[in-house]
Amino acid sequence: MATLTLKTEEDYIAAYGPTLNYSPAGGWDRGEPDRLVKTHCCFCGVQCGIQLKVKENRVIGFEPWEEFPVNQGKLCPKGVKRYMQNEHPDRLKAPLLRSEQGFEETTWDHALDRTATAIKSIQERYGKDSFAFLGGASMTNEKAYLNGKFARIALETKNIDYNGRLCMVSAGAANKKAFGIDRAANPWSDIPKTDVIILAGTNLAECFPILTDYIWKARDNGAKIIVVDPRITPIARTADLFLPVRPGGDSALCHGILHVMILNGWIDEAFISEHTEDWPALKKLVRKFTPAYTEKLTGVPARSIEKCAELWGPAKKSMLLHARGIEHHTKGVENVLSYINLVLATGRIGKEGSGYGTITGQGNGQGGREHGQRCNQLPGGRDINNSVHREEISKFWGIEETALPGEGLTACEIIDAIEAGEIKGLLSISFNPLVSIPDSQRTRKALEKLEFYGAIDFFLNETARYADVVLAGSLQEEDHGTVTNGEGRCIRLNQSVTPPGNALPDWKIICDLADRLGKGRYFDYQDPREMFSELSAASKGGPIDYSGMTYERIESEQGIFWPCPQPEHPGTPRLFEKGQFFHDDGKARFHAFDYRPPAEDVDAEYPLLFTTGRVVSQYLSGTQTRRIGSLVDQYPEPLCEMHPHLAEKLGVEDGDQVRVTTRRGSIDVPAQVVKTIRPDTVFVPYHWPGKKSANLITNRALDPISKIPEFKVCSCRVELVGPHAGGGRKA
Amino acid sequence: MSRLEFFIDQSRCIGCQACVQACGECDTHRGTSMIHLEYVHRPTGVQTAPMVCMHCEDPTCAKVCPADAIKKDDNGVVLSAAKPRCVGCSNCVLGCPFGVPKMQVSIDLMMKCDMCYDRTSVGKKPMCATVCPSEALYFGERETLERKRREKPVNEFKFGQQTVRTKVNMMTSSEKDSIPIDVAELMAHETVQGETLWEAREGAPDAASFAVWDD
Amino acid sequence: MSELHKSGSPCGPLFAELCHRYVLMALKNLRAVIAGSFLGGIVLLGIVIGSLGGIHFDAELTFYAIGSILAASAIGYRFALWAERPPTRRYLSRGYQFLREGRQRPKKTIKRSLSIGTEKFVGQGFIRRRSIFRWIMHLCLSGGCTLAFAVTFPLVFGWVHFQPFLGDATRYEVRVLGVAVDSFSVHSSKAWLMFNLLNIAGVIVVVGVVMALYRRLTDPGERATQSFSEDFVPLLLIMAVATTGLALTVSYKWFGGDAHGILAIIHLICVLGLLFYIPFGKLFHMFQRICSFCVGWYKQEGAAGIQAHCARCSQPFASRMHIDDLKVVLDQLGFDYRYGTDAEAGHYQEICPACRRRLIALNQGQAIGR
Repeated sequence: MATLTLKTEEDYIAAYGPTLNYSPAGGWDRGEPDRLVKTHCCFCGVQCGIQLKVKENRVIGFEPWEEFPVNQGKLCPKGVKRYMQNEHPDRLKAPLLRSEQGFEETTWDHALDRTATAIKSIQERYGKDSFAFLGGASMTNEKAYLNGKFARIALETKNIDYNGRLCMVSAGAANKKAFGIDRAANPWSDIPKTDVIILAGTNLAECFPILTDYIWKARDNGAKIIVVDPRITPIARTADLFLPVRPGGDSALCHGILHVMILNGWIDEAFISEHTEDWPALKKLVRKFTPAYTEKLTGVPARSIEKCAELWGPAKKSMLLHARGIEHHTKGVENVLSYINLVLATGRIGKEGSGYGTITGQGNGQGGREHGQRCNQLPGGRDINNSVHREEISKFWGIEETALPGEGLTACEIIDAIEAGEIKGLLSISFNPLVSIPDSQRTRKALEKLEFYGAIDFFLNETARYADVVLAGSLQEEDHGTVTNGEGRCIRLNQSVTPPGNALPDWKIICDLADRLGKGRYFDYQDPREMFSELSAASKGGPIDYSGMTYERIESEQGIFWPCPQPEHPGTPRLFEKGQFFHDDGKARFHAFDYRPPAEDVDAEYPLLFTTGRVVSQYLSGTQTRRIGSLVDQYPEPLCEMHPHLAEKLGVEDGDQVRVTTRRGSIDVPAQVVKTIRPDTVFVPYHWPGKKSANLITNRALDPISKIPEFKVCSCRVELVGPHAGGGRKA
Repeated sequence: MSRLEFFIDQSRCIGCQACVQACGECDTHRGTSMIHLEYVHRPTGVQTAPMVCMHCEDPTCAKVCPADAIKKDDNGVVLSAAKPRCVGCSNCVLGCPFGVPKMQVSIDLMMKCDMCYDRTSVGKKPMCATVCPSEALYFGERETLERKRREKPVNEFKFGQQTVRTKVNMMTSSEKDSIPIDVAELMAHETVQGETLWEAREGAPDAASFAVWDD
Repeated sequence: MSELHKSGSPCGPLFAELCHRYVLMALKNLRAVIAGSFLGGIVLLGIVIGSLGGIHFDAELTFYAIGSILAASAIGYRFALWAERPPTRRYLSRGYQFLREGRQRPKKTIKRSLSIGTEKFVGQGFIRRRSIFRWIMHLCLSGGCTLAFAVTFPLVFGWVHFQPFLGDATRYEVRVLGVAVDSFSVHSSKAWLMFNLLNIAGVIVVVGVVMALYRRLTDPGERATQSFSEDFVPLLLIMAVATTGLALTVSYKWFGGDAHGILAIIHLICVLGLLFYIPFGKLFHMFQRICSFCVGWYKQEGAAGIQAHCARCSQPFASRMHIDDLKVVLDQLGFDYRYGTDAEAGHYQEICPACRRRLIALNQGQAIGR
């Protein structure tokens, strides 16, 4: 049974971290490196090029890589310090078995046998689907492909999903609905060439910092910047127009803007009739979204809505970029589709300097969702419910179509099913659901119910403390392969060092496990290169076609945009050129979803809106970044941002300890009283575990289509607990 | 090397601290950053003030140093205090109009940005300007920059009566030839109609003034 | 003098450069010339009086004595130039003022002087906190050199000499300014120590130099910023003095004085080179460090006194004395950081460094509308 064996949080921290690492491997007297390895940062979907300094099989520092076109040497603070995760004191160097003393090291044979035995035993007793697999979107394309194949062939379970489910599946689903394909429409190099940019729900400067330069370059060229966000984030500070949308109001806002555009004739009728479907229904729907009505629903002044339409409507070229702010909702798909409506209505897509894109959150947020790691997806972006696709892949893998499991549960649903006792065993890799899934008290309860939990990871994250077996895997720089960045560019990660001690590359662990489950013949890989050949061959003819790519090509061309169906195909940086979309009829689709409120709206008991997000110095659940000292120092603990109007009402001063309570629980954090947030909303970043974890109180209500949880809005109340622990009140 | 210059446009800064983290990577100061980057006033906004050494033509820091510890090299780079000479008096810290030198109290030593002497001397760009995601810190050819930006680089600052010329350039409006540092107008504690100037100033937008909400 | 020295000039014909500097500077700075002559004169006088009119003067050491007088003149000259700079003068006179005022509370004054002196000059904790390696290295160099000078100057100047006991050739008498203060047997360990003190100092110095050279050759940070004339020349000079000195011992102890003559000349040249280098190179910091004594005191006085509060953020950021002194120094240097009209004139020195940075960002942003 998955339980904790050490008594206190402090015991775990003492034994397994997070320990704050402040100096490079070997200390500051590190001297000159033996070699520089050209690779990429692991911390977001930009996938910045970086050169790691390697000395005696240790990463001792970095050097900017100015020749890589995407970031040209630029890095954010996470990128600068990312090398300090290597040779970290908390690094797991051998497989672990849970014991009375926390964990004890064991041999690979023992750990893998134990895991395989548990899997077989659970599946014999409760059925194949009673064992679930949770993957991650920070891993390479090769591993994403391998995870999907492993779950379907070796575990024979339908219940495989990944943490991208928490990230941007609503955007993916909406893209498929609107365009028939799930990828950013334009290369980022189109951004500086545009005339007007809408940044919707993206704290771009903190979560995707490198793209700031593209936005500023556009402004240098005369472009207008419109930012939609409940907070004045750094990218919003100097924007030409700031729309402080009330959390949950996005689709209404789009409808309101479209309403004004239609009134003024700022739409491209020719494009609409030639290249799209379903416009009339939308036109009818937005009729009621007058600026005044929209103002009521969104908290954005009517004049600002009109102003936005004035800037966006008549522009010659435009780009729309969005991120989790509009996607993390129970109507995430509807929000994204509503924004896509704004793009399609102007016909400004598929052209140089005009188009659309999503900001990916995770390192391989794009590639991680393409190769069959999702519960409803097969390699090449194929659909697991499509009989042709099933046939193609089962034939490719050499199995019976009937043996290929069907669509399984999504990530949050898997946790729910564990809590309900339907799923009994779990294997996870690079996933920390205790910190990253909403309503973490329930996640904790679920973990305690597991009969067996195996975790593959390089650090012992908060969730892995519950594991029966921890399999010491590999950091990004300890393996090689490919990832696909937020613009759809597949790039090459080179290996810098080998895993330390007895740790193994992730794929090796998966393959060894498959062998013990009697499916070794399907997983006879000696190198990620073989997996890449297989995944690109598997993708041939699918919607996401990598079949023309090789490692050599990717490296020499500094990345290739898919689709790339032949070896001589140059790749496809810009999609939808000449209005060609990926639905069978070649047309895009409008969608007319009426506005509906979030799952939880404010009431007398919970009168405020609660929203979450990131800070620039941390990445996701913090498994890696909470161990790097200077990143932690930059923003050491979660703060509750609130407007002075609200603070005054609550009797709170900057730095005071406040309690934020929702229907799921409460957290105590210091208040940060700032004018940069709507007065009806409070914000707490989510990277921390335990009693300060924002996800202790967020709402696990799911979007009906994409099953993404509603991280970005729920109702709460805030009260003063006392002066800040640090003593007296600050001025 | 001589054709490449340093340009700062603080208004582009997003406060990410990549420069600070990268500066600390230097082998000469190991984990300590020489760059300053702080919020102008976080309660009212997210504007940030990145500051590297401006490398004055006639550096006040060097002039007020009692120990003759601060030198300018042949390229006009004002170097960190010479270790054997610096007596840790903080005259430079208090004298510099840009607020640049940093006193390392425990080791009696002033350290400051030396435009990555270790990198620029071998033809590389300074670390901060290489990593800066917003190009608020930029190192390159003047012609390239002037082609790209609408703002104009100047290297003259007016601190009251004192004019200071620097090696490093700062971007300003194309109509200006220098940057006057207006102190009186931007005082924090003076008030206009009950609001402090902090709050009234441009660049510190209040989300409430853009939003509609139920009280 | 106010112009900055350029670092990184080639080592080149060092001596010629030094002479050139001498002449030019002397013409420009008469007060410093007087100070230099004065210090040289003091040393000469010290030799004459200390050796009781030359009675105890060792003629073999004539060149050393002349070198010392010249070096003392140069140091006096250089020190005066340095001390005349407004910020330096301010600190030195403040230091003098503290000591003078401290006469009323002699116990406290002595205690504080000792504690600052111990920290800055003997313990050198500020270097220890940079790194233990550098601390040991610097203690070897500073300690070794101090010991060597402490031994040689009194001998060279004739202040101290050893004299065999009349009738007992195995006993020596130590005479200071002609007065017998101690005696010892040549077979005693004390004798060994007395006669080898210089060799011990030499060995310590060599250890220090080797450590310093190792660091300069391997540390990437140092390698990037060091220059030959500023950082290697002093080390090589010290090394030359120490090794040639030790070679003299080796020569007469184990090689029966082989090549002693030529070695003595080489040693002499090295010593003179070092002496003449001291006032104009990196090693002058041993005198400039006097200022750190004043600064240590200044900081303690400042912290105990009234604090200056930033005119903008109202936070204390330095001592009132320090800000007021700097305003005077800036005026003396020809800077004028006053702003505003006469009626409401302010001084930029009254704004804390953090607010200066913020003001620059605010002004820059305002100018371009962001």
